[in-house]
Amino acid sequence: MFVSDFRKEFYEVVQSQRVLLFVASDVDALCACKILQALFQCDHVQYTLVPVSGWQELETAFLEHKEQFHYFILINCGANVDLLDILQPDEDAIFFVCDTHRPVNVVNVYNDAQIKLLIKQDDDLEVPAYDDIFRDEEEDEEHSGSESDNGSEPSEKRTRLEEEIVARTMKRRQRREWEAQRRDILFDYEQYEYHGTSSAMVMFDLAWMMSKDLNDMLWWAIVGLTDQWVQDKITQMKYVTDVGVLQRHVSRHNHRNEDEENALSVDCTRISFEYDLRLALYQHWSLHDSLCNTCYTAARFKLWSVHGQKRLQEFLADVGLPLKQVKQKFQSMDISLKENLREMIEESANKFGMKDMRVQTFSIHFGFKHRFLASDVVFATMSLMESPKKDSSGTDNFIQALDSLSRSNLDKLYHGLELAKKQLQATQQTIASCLCTNLVISQGPFLYCSLMEGTPDIALFSKPASLTLLSRYLLKSFVFSTKNRRCKLLPLVMAAPLSVEQGTVTVVGIPPETDSSDRKNFFGRAFEKAAESTNSRTLHNHFDLSVIELKAEDRSKFLDALVSLLS
Amino acid sequence: MKALYEQNQSDVNEVKSGGQSDLIPTIKFRHCSLLRNRRCAVAYLYDRLLRIRALRWEYGSVLPNALRFHMSAEEMEWFNRYKKSLATYMRSLGGDEGLDITQDMKPPKSLYIEVRCLKDYGEFEVDDGTSVLLKKNSQHFLPRWKCEQLVRQGILEHVLS
Repeated sequence: MFVSDFRKEFYEVVQSQRVLLFVASDVDALCACKILQALFQCDHVQYTLVPVSGWQELETAFLEHKEQFHYFILINCGANVDLLDILQPDEDAIFFVCDTHRPVNVVNVYNDAQIKLLIKQDDDLEVPAYDDIFRDEEEDEEHSGSESDNGSEPSEKRTRLEEEIVARTMKRRQRREWEAQRRDILFDYEQYEYHGTSSAMVMFDLAWMMSKDLNDMLWWAIVGLTDQWVQDKITQMKYVTDVGVLQRHVSRHNHRNEDEENALSVDCTRISFEYDLRLALYQHWSLHDSLCNTCYTAARFKLWSVHGQKRLQEFLADVGLPLKQVKQKFQSMDISLKENLREMIEESANKFGMKDMRVQTFSIHFGFKHRFLASDVVFATMSLMESPKKDSSGTDNFIQALDSLSRSNLDKLYHGLELAKKQLQATQQTIASCLCTNLVISQGPFLYCSLMEGTPDIALFSKPASLTLLSRYLLKSFVFSTKNRRCKLLPLVMAAPLSVEQGTVTVVGIPPETDSSDRKNFFGRAFEKAAESTNSRTLHNHFDLSVIELKAEDRSKFLDALVSLLS
Repeated sequence: MKALYEQNQSDVNEVKSGGQSDLIPTIKFRHCSLLRNRRCAVAYLYDRLLRIRALRWEYGSVLPNALRFHMSAEEMEWFNRYKKSLATYMRSLGGDEGLDITQDMKPPKSLYIEVRCLKDYGEFEVDDGTSVLLKKNSQHFLPRWKCEQLVRQGILEHVLS
């Protein structure tokens, strides 16, 4: 059931208990976790934090810990499947689920006792009504009971029998209609996957309701929201609305910086609203590198072709930036050039057909040296979490990424920025090679691209978030590179090798790229059905149902099934 | 040392019986080296005792078997007696129950601390009888006095944020 008063029904319930936190492995979940940890530390709530990266890990960890705790909090996992079925908990276990995955499973919505959803109901949820999907079984039994004790007289018996037969068939027909309708409703409801409000923002709201919100928590909420925008999980409208909400909080916490007399010292954290360029990591890199490695500019300039490189030079000449300056580190650029940089770039970008060069975002400063945009932190944390180091397990990376979000661990954040730069460069190079060698082929109802084992930097793309980001960027670049109008509207299925020893590949499905897309992804259900119909050996382990692992031998029959399913 | 001592003894007897005085420097030299060896041995044994005393503060009153294997019987006895006198002292301190001074070696900043598990440890009992499973890389927020021992042993790591 949905929790209406977060404070009374959630926080005050867990305040006196020991809780177990299951946190999924994405940046938004990390930020929500940091906010909740700060709140718990303030109130001395004893908790245990267990990172999970998939359903199997969640189940194992739950089995290990279930005797010791009664209250479980799941962050960014668990809303879109039947939790009670998967975890099989005891009667007195209570789950609080704060998840952005939609649609929320109907069992989770209508279970009043054990599952409490920390989800705002003004998100567009469209949960089907209770009576449409659940039906009391008693009515049928009553009727069958009355059928057995028939009347005594034969003639009356016969007419009554006929009536009863008629009534029974009517009932059965009604039941069948109801069931067909139920299947349709559930199919429509569960067909598309999408994402709701960021969990970090939900947690920040809770902190604000209790008046325990701090600037640090606000920054984490901002990073959580920006993560959703970077990974294209929410629509542009929703992003702008949420930015507006956060902007009010930012001005509430940071108004002292405006006032010249009472300004805070330089070392204090300041968050400010910026209408800044959407070039990735440009303040920690050179402007030229940033332009080449941001998907937005690389796709529109078509930087994989020679013609595209020339256009980039023209663009830089138009802005009025000398090449030597642009290739230097951004911090060493001439101050005279940096002053009006944003406006100049925006003007030239408009001339070259890039209308949304600037986006609304936030930045944080502390000290003279440290200044980060929200997207910088998102890329850094994402790279830390998915870095393919050989020795470290998934949980080590999680801990590294979690630490990097604290202000006292700036060295980890800078390390993450370096990793992010490598990741972005590898992404663009892979995209360039895919487009130049025409690896993206149309299979009919969708486009398909498969990365081969020997591709350079293939290890960087074995984790789901990196592969999803690569696929989205590839689709965007493909849309700009192809002349076929029909291909521009097709979704993309991308496969990358996961583990050579086990012979598995990761398959990701991306919805088609349109200007006003609502980011709804139907590949989750499509993959499930295709796998069932061909008995392929798949593992639907990730919380995002549109990412699966597949045995390499079953790839072709799986794809055939998918083609026939979607056409 | 025994060899040196015997040589010295034979020389001393010779001098006493023969009356020769030119063996006396040798005897003095050997005596000095005997004294030095004794000093070294005593210093070593004393250092061991100091380390055993530090073990009481680090590990608590029950030592792990690996350590006990390396101590001699006399050292064990010394340890037990030290334990007893420390316990008597602690009992005499704060009122009726006594004060456990082996906790809180540094002034604590808060009642509860955030710890991260560095190795798989297994189950760990908390005050109200329930237990917590300490697995690698899980983070916990627990009362300070429960975690201190494990932090000192290196199984948990105090996370400062």
